Amino acid sequence: MLNYTSPIKEVKKYSGLTVSEISPLMKLNLRGKSRDFLTTIGQNINIILPLEANTSASSENYTAIWLSPDEWMLVSNRTVNKENNDYEIEKLLFNKISKTNLGSVTDVSDQLVMINLNGEKIFDLLCTGSPFNFNDFRSIKGSSTQTLLAQIDVIIHHNQINSVNLFVRRSFSEHLMSWINDSASRL
Amino acid sequence: MSQNLRVKSSNFIDETSRISFKFNGKTYYGFKGDTLASALLANDIHLVGRSFKYHRPRGIMTSGSEEPNAIVQVGNDKAITEPNVRATEVEIYNGLEAKSQNCWPSVNFDIGGINNFLSPLLPAGFYYKTFMWPASFWEKYEIAIRHSAGLGRSPTKPDTDIYEHRYIHCDVLVIGAGISGIMAAKTAAKNNLNTLLLDEKNELGGMTIYQNSEKFKIDNKISSEWLNDEIEELKKLDNLEIKTRTSVAAYHGYNYLLARENLTDHLSKDEKENKVRQRLLKIRAKKVIVATGSLERPLVFNNNDRPGIMLSSAVKKYADYYGVICGKNNIFFTNNDTAYESAISLLKKGINVHCIIDIRENSNSSIVKEAQDLGLKIYWSHTIVDTHGYKRLKQISIMELSKDGQSFANSNKIVLDCDCLGMSGGWTPAVHLFTQSGGKLKFREKDQVFIPNKYPSEQVSIGSCNGDFELDEIIKNSSDILKDFLKIEKTGFDNMNVETSKETSKKNIWLLPSDKIVGKTKPFVDYQNDATAKDIKLALREGFRSIEHVKRYTTTGMGTDQGKLGNMHALGIIADTTGVKMGEVGTTTFRPPYTPLTFGTIVGRNVGEYFDIFRRTPMNDWHINNNAEFENVGQWKRAWYYPRGNESMYEAVQRESKATRESAGILDASTLGKIDIQGSDASEFLNRVYTNAWSKLGIGKCRYGLMLNEDGMVYDDGVTTRLGENHYIMTTTTGGAANVLSKLEDYLQTEWPELDVYLTSVTDHFATATIGGPNSKKILNKLIPDLDLSDENFPHMSFKEEKIGKINCRIMRISFTGELSYEINIQASYGKSLWEQCMDAGKEFNITPYGTETMHLLRAEKGFIIVGQDTDGTMTPIDLQMDWVVSKKKYDFIGKRSLYRSDTMREDRKQMVGLLTDDPNTVLEEGAQIISELDQTPVKMLGHVTSSYFSPNLGKSIALAVVKGGKNMMGKKLFIPMEDKTINVTVVDPIFLDKENKKLNA
Repeated sequence: MLNYTSPIKEVKKYSGLTVSEISPLMKLNLRGKSRDFLTTIGQNINIILPLEANTSASSENYTAIWLSPDEWMLVSNRTVNKENNDYEIEKLLFNKISKTNLGSVTDVSDQLVMINLNGEKIFDLLCTGSPFNFNDFRSIKGSSTQTLLAQIDVIIHHNQINSVNLFVRRSFSEHLMSWINDSASRL
Repeated sequence: MSQNLRVKSSNFIDETSRISFKFNGKTYYGFKGDTLASALLANDIHLVGRSFKYHRPRGIMTSGSEEPNAIVQVGNDKAITEPNVRATEVEIYNGLEAKSQNCWPSVNFDIGGINNFLSPLLPAGFYYKTFMWPASFWEKYEIAIRHSAGLGRSPTKPDTDIYEHRYIHCDVLVIGAGISGIMAAKTAAKNNLNTLLLDEKNELGGMTIYQNSEKFKIDNKISSEWLNDEIEELKKLDNLEIKTRTSVAAYHGYNYLLARENLTDHLSKDEKENKVRQRLLKIRAKKVIVATGSLERPLVFNNNDRPGIMLSSAVKKYADYYGVICGKNNIFFTNNDTAYESAISLLKKGINVHCIIDIRENSNSSIVKEAQDLGLKIYWSHTIVDTHGYKRLKQISIMELSKDGQSFANSNKIVLDCDCLGMSGGWTPAVHLFTQSGGKLKFREKDQVFIPNKYPSEQVSIGSCNGDFELDEIIKNSSDILKDFLKIEKTGFDNMNVETSKETSKKNIWLLPSDKIVGKTKPFVDYQNDATAKDIKLALREGFRSIEHVKRYTTTGMGTDQGKLGNMHALGIIADTTGVKMGEVGTTTFRPPYTPLTFGTIVGRNVGEYFDIFRRTPMNDWHINNNAEFENVGQWKRAWYYPRGNESMYEAVQRESKATRESAGILDASTLGKIDIQGSDASEFLNRVYTNAWSKLGIGKCRYGLMLNEDGMVYDDGVTTRLGENHYIMTTTTGGAANVLSKLEDYLQTEWPELDVYLTSVTDHFATATIGGPNSKKILNKLIPDLDLSDENFPHMSFKEEKIGKINCRIMRISFTGELSYEINIQASYGKSLWEQCMDAGKEFNITPYGTETMHLLRAEKGFIIVGQDTDGTMTPIDLQMDWVVSKKKYDFIGKRSLYRSDTMREDRKQMVGLLTDDPNTVLEEGAQIISELDQTPVKMLGHVTSSYFSPNLGKSIALAVVKGGKNMMGKKLFIPMEDKTINVTVVDPIFLDKENKKLNA
């Protein structure tokens, strides 16, 4: 029996900001260009993949974040079982998309760690390390972007008011958390 | 004896809050709101420093960031002291300690002052002329030059303060919160534009905020009252952010600006504890409104630098804003009306103003009339020819100018007593930021100013930095410009009723005449660097013409103040001397920063643990808990070796490698790049990317691939596994992963858009534990008892999808050590647990964790290359003796054409070989040069050692090397010359161990 280990150990609370990792989540990288690809995805997970740059779409179970004109990340809205890593939706989409050459479906559940930032000072934190312009982003629920935070590649998803999810490569996550803790301590 | 020269209460100084500070070791008092300069002046301290070259006594000259003289060392702790801080910008706080710079033993008695008397021997270019000969003496001169170079003392220890960066995006950035800046910010914010207003001072309002004259009214209110009301309204606006104590340092292209926000420099030590000291703002603005105002010019005359000689506007500000008088017996010297405002302001406070000396013939402006009505004596058409008083101004000598202003009307000289001289040579628009952004200037003859002409981006200049100096002009023109720039119909400042005194007469003489020949005078142009008008004239006589050359030869404008006061005079003197129009001389290049930035501000939080980013593997904690030493590989922290007890790295590596060859070892290989490849053209894609063929690789099989650059040189390598018909997983080198993915994605998007292929990085998704050695099969069998590990079912270079418990994993039977090896890839969150289970299962076989150093040794024994260690971007596969991996049948692959260039086919290229030392215990140094003949001059280098180790498994030293023509040198004796000996080596095959691959298939 293998144990599940998360790189981020604790929830941190600061003035106007709470920082926590949410895990385990299923994350799939979806790539494809054709209409059939989009249709197949829509039919199987009940989401129309967003075509507008830096946006996202959500259903009851999943959120699809636009990454590029032919790339999306599908994230489960709820945590999954730590005891095994068989994801039925991955198998389904792999068979319907990858095996039929409509595109690619790749499990990236542990490629990225999801850190949730909650509170009214989210953007005060982000502007200390990210060159991205959050002026419009902060007012639009569901907006997303790929940018740098403390020199680290991140995907930022504005999932609801005063709540933002940061997706960062697992290997960078400890360093990013350390930076967040340092920067947030001065908010 | 210090005294209190505070005249009356001021709106800007809190006289209820008394602050003590130290200057040159002595305690003084000031009030909250004082700068160090105003507090020193209030204590009648004018002498604050010494000039750089002549060590002349210097006093406070200005009230702003243009200050050239009053620069001080702040802080008494040598470790964290800060040099070259302008006393005019330091807000005092309890505990502040400052001292004078460039003087020894004290500012009052400075040994270096002897330079002033030696000045005839120290003209411009002194260093270049004097230290040229004899050439061999340079090293001796250097000692003295270095000792005297620089101003102030650098701190000796790391800065203990905290600095931060912040990114800001706004619709409109307004730089400068003087009257025009306030108008701009209010207009922009009221038109629903997200606006940021910055000012370097701690209060808004610029010079107008303390302009209390009845002569200057807006809408029937005294201008300061009107502006104060505007500021109060401004502060209520929602979409406006105001930052004071914030100086824009740089204005780059496309409206990207850097500004330094001072957050705690004005606070006492206790108040600033654990707070950010300074913040670098990185601003992207859609539109920029530059309202940086203008700088008052000094006048250039003999001995114009004595303590007590100040700008007239500074004298006024110290009186009106800080409530401090700079002298008890004041004289003003001017070529325009500004000094009259200052004189009247002092007179109305009951401060003695002896007279005004004006180089103009007359003026009938209302402000001049007011001065005359107050009984002020005016010397029209007069100039100062000399000043007297070494550490403080005592007297001035004046003479009447001739009609042309170049000589004198008569020989009468009048000597006047004074202790403060306020001078005004007109105003220079502060166009520094505008030109930094790429803006082009034009020269306006009538008042001899450079003003903005062509804007390179969405920006505009308003107010006096745009050449509008009269109050009515500022309001009307600023309003008109704002309407056009912001595309609005009205500003709220249209048709204002403005009363002002109009200047009716102008006259400018860049270098005022003296009754002595110029060589006997010291008319300073650049105060900080002691560059005088005669230095500029000397440079011109010696053939320098370009302003840039004159600047460097004389050091004019090269101090910490960057010549904000004197640059225009240097240009004027060049123009007058050479007979060229000033507009044609042009200006020197204004470069960032506008005012000095601390290194801390530039660096921000990128210090200590945040200096560089790092990556950790899922097993990292286990490595730490088991005493691993780490090495940086790219951004990764990789376990290097695991010393036991007092083992050295050498001893640990010998133990780890022997244990692996004899029983079992385990390596954390999670850092290798992993790219998931899917699509109907995946095989064709790999054919084009790698040098070998991929179409026939069976599903479930692995293959080593070598990737070249377009120039045919080895770029990356790794094993790729076919997971399905159109599904592969590629591994790359640890350091090359990101670049390889970018390169491949680039090819797919730009060169091969016809290919149906999708790439996804999964480097971080998988943790990888590699178990190798003769007992690795038994260990894997304990982990997954149901897996058939026979060579038939699971041969070398194949893979299996398996489960450990309920967790899916991929197992590749591949080897980088030459041993039987299994690479277990599992979802990263289970990586640590997998590693622990491998250790448990391998316990009975003495499984030994090994790090990158042992990995390097093991693969070198087998003759496997490491891209980046044994290659350097100049090695082809043929150079590496890896011809076997280059397909001769494939139509094309990246770099193929380059392999057939005559140069890449040369026989005498550096080629990979093995080396064995004659003495098996001598280990070569990596990087050591290889030669074939001793006593050769010049010695011919054949190549160098790329990898070298003592192999405990072979019981001898082994090395890999690249040697010119090495392929044909098998068995040849070569030499490695070292500092203390020459090592004899023999060229051998690079595969030292198990050439027949028996171990792999054991």
